[in-house]
Amino acid sequence: MISGPARGLRQTWTLAAHDVRQWWRAPWAIAAALIPPVALGLLAYVLTFNLGHQPIALVQESHGRYADHIAGIFHAQSGDLYSLTSTDKANATRLFDSQQVAAVVVIPPGFDAAAARCPALQPDQIIHDYTYARSGCPAAKLLVTVDNANSNFAGEIRRALSETVGFFDAPDVVTPVSETQLDMSDLNPYRVNVMTALTRANTVDYIHYAVIPCLVLLILSVGVMGTALLCARDIERGTARHLALAPASSVVLVAGRLLGGVLVSLLVVVPVLAIGTLTGLISPPPGHWPALVLLFLATAICAAGLGAVIGATMRGARAVSMAAAVICTYLFFLGGGFTTIQFLPSWLRHITTFVPTRYAIDGLRQSLFYPGMYGFGADMRVLLGTAVVVVVAGGVFVRRAWSR
Amino acid sequence: MTPTLAALGGGFRAEIQQLRRSRLLVVLTVAEAVIFLVLVSIFGLTANHVPTAIVDSDGGHLSHQWAQDMSNTYHTYGVRYMDARSAQQALARGDVAAVLYLPANFSQRMAHHTMTRIHFHVDNVNADLANEVELGIPAAARTFAVHNHFPGIRVVSAESDLVRNEVGFVPYLVVSALALAAFVVAGTLAASAVAREYETRTLAYLKLSPTHPLIPLSGRLLATGAVSAVAVAVAALLVVAGYRVTPVHPLEMAAVLLLCVVIFSCIGACIGILVRRALPLSALIFGLALAFYLDSGSLEPARFYGNWLWGIAHTSPVYYAVGILQHAVHGLRVTPETIGVNFAVLIGWAVLAAVVAWLALRKAVVA
Repeated sequence: MISGPARGLRQTWTLAAHDVRQWWRAPWAIAAALIPPVALGLLAYVLTFNLGHQPIALVQESHGRYADHIAGIFHAQSGDLYSLTSTDKANATRLFDSQQVAAVVVIPPGFDAAAARCPALQPDQIIHDYTYARSGCPAAKLLVTVDNANSNFAGEIRRALSETVGFFDAPDVVTPVSETQLDMSDLNPYRVNVMTALTRANTVDYIHYAVIPCLVLLILSVGVMGTALLCARDIERGTARHLALAPASSVVLVAGRLLGGVLVSLLVVVPVLAIGTLTGLISPPPGHWPALVLLFLATAICAAGLGAVIGATMRGARAVSMAAAVICTYLFFLGGGFTTIQFLPSWLRHITTFVPTRYAIDGLRQSLFYPGMYGFGADMRVLLGTAVVVVVAGGVFVRRAWSR
Repeated sequence: MTPTLAALGGGFRAEIQQLRRSRLLVVLTVAEAVIFLVLVSIFGLTANHVPTAIVDSDGGHLSHQWAQDMSNTYHTYGVRYMDARSAQQALARGDVAAVLYLPANFSQRMAHHTMTRIHFHVDNVNADLANEVELGIPAAARTFAVHNHFPGIRVVSAESDLVRNEVGFVPYLVVSALALAAFVVAGTLAASAVAREYETRTLAYLKLSPTHPLIPLSGRLLATGAVSAVAVAVAALLVVAGYRVTPVHPLEMAAVLLLCVVIFSCIGACIGILVRRALPLSALIFGLALAFYLDSGSLEPARFYGNWLWGIAHTSPVYYAVGILQHAVHGLRVTPETIGVNFAVLIGWAVLAAVVAWLALRKAVVA
């Protein structure tokens, strides 16, 4: 004899397992759910190859001591700040015109003479007023031509070139606070030594930072679309009425539908996590796995609840799949999946406060990348609260849709 | 009216009626297209002006000037003045990416040309951001030193720019995104129109048409193309009004967007024939649009990606469309190819896409 709660659980599980089988037999539904997160992950991955390596041509028309020194700095910093091509002026112009380089730097013939005219700094020199050096010696000029197609791209080139040019006069203008190297400040004409201290113990590379959050989109997309399509299909085929007449409580039936949605998400995410862990792409600090599992589970429950709301309120599988794709993508972007939310303008940050995916992505990054769990508790509270709200709302909408 | 025109008009009207019945679908398609504008705007907003707190314990003329130089140097920092406690809290909350502490005697020490230590705390939330924030400091220090004519500066750079009026990052991105919006809208609507014929099994009835069986279907695609053109025009108006971007050559902009609608409608029809189901189409086309986005020069001229990626870019019509759009709106040349060449290739793409779609539809209908 099976007790009431046990029977309820079995019925819930039966419906959930049935839903998972239904979803598994719909390859196009699976494709529709998988394509956006996979494409976005790929997009973020390829974007990382393009970060901070603009092609630059260097033309050295002077070959004295100072010209060779600054050319050496350019070569030494090539690869880190830009990719460098050393060439003559005619070829550099050709490369620039055909957009094979984004900037041309010319060390002009008089460079050495001009640099030699300016004496190196003396430690006891004092500036008495701000116009002190207006009559001083004019510095040697590097001639730079920049393709400033947009401000971001041009800024990247200018920052990189500025670092190189600055290195000539002041190699130690920025020093990591951890370094105890010899202070060469007497030679630094900028008269500042900026000591940088990083606030986190480890720095995450951009590939991991940008690609890993696509896991949240994956759970969201599969959970929302899976649950929504199962709800929409029941309504389209008229099987929803059969469910309403079934000799089981509506709580059990709705729970079965939502559990099906959660299982569908987990069915996709677990193998991805396994592959990511085996390949080393996903390697959380020790002890963070329970937090990660909790986070994925809460996100999957939110996705199932949201999917139930969409599936029960919209008509037609096409509309449901489109709405699910649009909503998931907006939630992902506004949640900071493609950027760092904190650095958005304040009005946009206020909007994202109400986007639950923000907390999922924050929590995911915190538990995966950083040794501490700073803010994870708050993230989980919001996420679990959202899960409760959308599950209740989803249940109400689904039950109403079945009764229509 | 000839039977051909009647069949074409019939298909057109039937599709318009269908779309009127599925207003939600049309709205969702446009919303999907606008995602790109939102996406690139969010991306563009965080690319510059990283929020940086300055704790100015000095308050003098030179410390203000330092902060101003930091703020003005290459769009790197979005400077905010704070006291030490607020700055530390903001850094811990992630509201700012870095805090720069200007010491109490900064102005005096700078005036006396005494070496000064400045502490700079950086939130290394990711390597790219930390690198960008650190890289901005030498530029700011150099600008400050040059402005104040500090002695001992032996090298400066004299820059000349290719473009007189530099375009902001977000206005650049949203213009590129219009080509992708055209792809999403036109592709999805055309693919859905064809896939619906399969799902409702009405494709066979086309053979009974008194004209060529593809004429009514072409009428349907014309209708989806017309609706797409209106949707893209709405997106373009959103860019013009919302982002205050005034096209330098509006006719050129209209022409390239229309060409995009034609090309992507034909590509959408081919996708509809391949997939034969409406359900996954929007997600599939959205995913394909992201792939196009990768390599179309949407962020910066594609040529700077290197030979390999630039070569691949040529296989996508979006590359040529972005090249023309940036010229039409901002007056920029972002492809080594001339605008004439880009237009010729796009027209070639339109003809090729139309021929392939026609052949594929003919095969589908005859089969």
